[in-house]
Amino acid sequence: MTAMSDALLEVRGLKVGFPTPEGLVRASDTVDLEIYPRETLGLIGETGSGKTVLGMAILRLLQPNTIIEGEIRYRGRDLLSLPEAEMQRVRGREIGIVLQNSGTSLNPVYTVGTQIAEAVILHQGLSGPDARQRAVELLDAVGIPDPVRMAGEYPHRFSGGMRERALIATALACRPNLLIADEPTKGLDAVTKRGIVDLFSEIDRDHSVLFITHDIETAGDLATRVAVMYAGEIVEIGGAEEVLGDPAHPYTRGLLASLPERGMQPIPGSAPSLITLPSGCRFSPRCGCAVENCSREHPGLVEVGSGHYARCMLYD
Amino acid sequence: MHKKIVLAASLGIVFAYCAVALLAPVIAPYDPHAITGAPLSPPDRDHLLGTNDLAQDIFSGLIWGTRATLLLGFVGAAIAVTVGTAAGIVSGYYGGLIDEAVMRLLDVAMTIPIFPLLLILTTFFRPGIYLIAVLMGLLGSFQGVRLIRSQVLSLAVADFVVGTRALGAGDGYIMARHILPGVLPLAGVKFVTSAQHFMLIGIGLGFLGITDPSVVDWGQMINRASQNGAMILGLWWWLIPPGLAVTLISLALAWLGYACEDEINPRLRVMRV
Amino acid sequence: MIEVTDLETCFSTGFIRRRVVRAVDGVSFRIEEGETLGLVGESGCGKTTLGRSILRLVEPDRGRIVVDGTDVTALSRSELRCFRPRMQMIFQDAYTSLNPRMRVRESVAEPLKIHRMGSRTDIDRRVRELIEEVGLNEEHLNRRPYELSGGQNQRVVLARVLALKPRFLVADEPTSALDVSVQAQILNLIRDLGHDYRMTCLYISHDLGVTRAMSSRVAVMLEGRIVEIGRTADVLDRPSHPYTRRLVDASLTGPCASLERLPLPAAPTTVEVRSGHWVEETV
Ligand SMILES: Nc1ncnc2c1ncn2[C@@H]1O[C@H](COP(=O)(O)OP(=O)(O)OP(=O)(O)O)[C@@H](O)[C@H]1O
Ligand SMILES: Nc1ncnc2c1ncn2[C@@H]1O[C@H](COP(=O)(O)OP(=O)(O)OP(=O)(O)O)[C@@H](O)[C@H]1O
Ligand code: SF4
Ligand SMILES: [Mg+2]
Ligand SMILES: [Mg+2]
Repeated sequence: MTAMSDALLEVRGLKVGFPTPEGLVRASDTVDLEIYPRETLGLIGETGSGKTVLGMAILRLLQPNTIIEGEIRYRGRDLLSLPEAEMQRVRGREIGIVLQNSGTSLNPVYTVGTQIAEAVILHQGLSGPDARQRAVELLDAVGIPDPVRMAGEYPHRFSGGMRERALIATALACRPNLLIADEPTKGLDAVTKRGIVDLFSEIDRDHSVLFITHDIETAGDLATRVAVMYAGEIVEIGGAEEVLGDPAHPYTRGLLASLPERGMQPIPGSAPSLITLPSGCRFSPRCGCAVENCSREHPGLVEVGSGHYARCMLYD
Repeated sequence: MHKKIVLAASLGIVFAYCAVALLAPVIAPYDPHAITGAPLSPPDRDHLLGTNDLAQDIFSGLIWGTRATLLLGFVGAAIAVTVGTAAGIVSGYYGGLIDEAVMRLLDVAMTIPIFPLLLILTTFFRPGIYLIAVLMGLLGSFQGVRLIRSQVLSLAVADFVVGTRALGAGDGYIMARHILPGVLPLAGVKFVTSAQHFMLIGIGLGFLGITDPSVVDWGQMINRASQNGAMILGLWWWLIPPGLAVTLISLALAWLGYACEDEINPRLRVMRV
Repeated sequence: MIEVTDLETCFSTGFIRRRVVRAVDGVSFRIEEGETLGLVGESGCGKTTLGRSILRLVEPDRGRIVVDGTDVTALSRSELRCFRPRMQMIFQDAYTSLNPRMRVRESVAEPLKIHRMGSRTDIDRRVRELIEEVGLNEEHLNRRPYELSGGQNQRVVLARVLALKPRFLVADEPTSALDVSVQAQILNLIRDLGHDYRMTCLYISHDLGVTRAMSSRVAVMLEGRIVEIGRTADVLDRPSHPYTRRLVDASLTGPCASLERLPLPAAPTTVEVRSGHWVEETV
């Protein structure tokens, strides 16, 4: 991978574990990745593979009893060892996030406008009326019709897609260098989604974006590079065209074959428990290409093309 | 770990007080109203905390007084939380006109200062202690309504509630089975903080000498002591024990309230994952 | 089987200055028995409200809904409660569709208990059957929603809904939170079960690929109205309404679609452009 120093964000050997009565849930296991200035990294993969956890870990938003190891360097500073007070300055201003659950991320007792204005006041120090005005502009920018009126409405009066856009507006309020967007196009119609995608391609002219999504097509449109996660690990990473056009890892191939346009053939079986992971390759119980060695040895990331890595025995 | 110690200590104190209140007739050596020796005698072996100007045993008074304080606090809080939770659930669940009516009513009710009103009511009607507790509970239920309602608002539109309605469940069933459990932790915290609040109000009323005169309570004890010059005469055993008793239970409840709040917050977060 | 005529649902907002949002504005359509109608449209155009209105989870202001020969709009509250099992809905987000405090066993048994369908052992047996039917097994019965993946939760929701053997199902973007492999599993499951139970289905989705795979006919909704309806291939391959065209274009990669609002006529008329393919005329 390219020289380490010019990355905006560098994640090294990140391990995240949730202690539960049943055992340790290893939601992220030795994840390495970097995000460069003005690039969009698409993060796709299985439900429950640790994509959201990765995004939350970067901003240290996970619950306090979570076990986190490794390094997360933002502009050379290790975020994991930053004091909480400094971390608060990083959140929102340096690194912004659009959380995944738009339904529950907005407080039902305040109007949407108030909640966006709050973020503006907090980070940009605008006065009340100015912040309010800015909130309306932001709602307009993300394509909410009649923004003046909608700013005065409560979240439960917004449709699913409108709530999602309101959240994007909140995150953009502070013009962060890096924006982590957790499924920001979920529940949007094709036209609006297109609008959001265009919005993001404007954003990534001067910001970096970590774009978490299940929408492979959108990831292909927007991302410079794509990473694929399975069971807490990155199993494939590389240029968007290589990964999605010519996937190397059997999981990525299975994912593409599940698209309705390509025959809707699901990968057999279901995701492994993150408490008792399969031995060897984590995908081996479901993999059609598995060889004998697969369930014995745990494969590392192997370079299969320039800047294109896959975690699979087939390429050793 | 530190939090657990605080939780255990405050729970211990609250339980100890409850035990004392229940076992008052067994623990207290004398009838708190009886004349048991010389007036104003300092603590000795017969009177652990001495006697007051009427020669009543102060230790026995203290023990029996626990009953009045806890009763006011807990019965008041139980009523306040029950009424507040019920109103909050109905208002938040049905929404619309019912909700607006309740909210407007609250706007008006919240401007009524509880303590002065209680003062006036008790001065005029001289109600018994149970009635005072009920009055206090009803007047104190307003704040809870808002708190509970805001939680119910988000629960009532949650997909699992709408989905259950689609299955053909009645409103009563949904409120009892799906909404109530969601607000119980919050109601529990409210119970603890209200209990503390009401105990202090009860002491205040007693101190002003307008509670039920047939019941021994710490407020009246402090009132009597200070009016009869306990401070000037240096009769510490008359004044300090009830004061300490109040402070300790109030602190314990406050800690318990904080500890419970801490406890439910992460839970609520996990539920949203 | 399902016949909706001139359905209208409004929300009024604001306490002092009331404003009315007409979320569903005079919608009419039919779905034949066993058929799946896809419903697509702009986000916020009223798809969810339409689905909920048909099930009377929101009260429609006007119009008639006939399900299986019964006029749903005319039912009283208690009659409606007895009728509800026949029409069910699956929501977008599987996590929030299940009570976080209830175990899978309780969630799946709940509908059976509400309608007192059988003794405790009967219910227990039926819960086991259902959970296997949706591709889970007994070890999942004692878990709570946050101990299951999104796809597994959506299966639990499906089991809960199927417990009542509904005749009509509204699926409101049931797979938008899932990865495409799990999506394919759930879609195949809904399709197969729909076949086995001869279920009529209204399938709401933003994904035209999914809509194509799931539905034989498709309706396009815009600002509360159905502006185009017809066989899936007709509507999506030969779109006649400008909004449908925009929708189809936007889902292809290419030049950017504009976000400008289309001018819509106040009193729309509908014309049949092909047999069974109806389009609202534009100004
Ligand atoms: N607080 C927690 N306690 C225990 N396990 C957790 C907790 N939070 C997340 N997990 C587990 O960690 C894993 C990763 O979760 P995460 O939310 O990151 O998945 P995801 O890749 O974002 O999935 P999706 O695409 O469905 O959003 C899941 O298996 C989840 O069950
Ligand atoms: N409870 C409500 N009160 C007031 N307005 C509402 C309410 N629910 C929905 N609306 C409004 O009704 C319109 C339609 O909302 P609906 O949720 O049906 O849209 P949708 O087509 O399902 O959108 P999406 O695809 O984004 O989920 C929106 O403009 C929304 O603001
Ligand atoms: S290592 Fe083996 S089991 Fe794993 S993905 Fe490659 S071929 Fe499949
Ligand atoms: Mg996620
Ligand atoms: Mg919707």
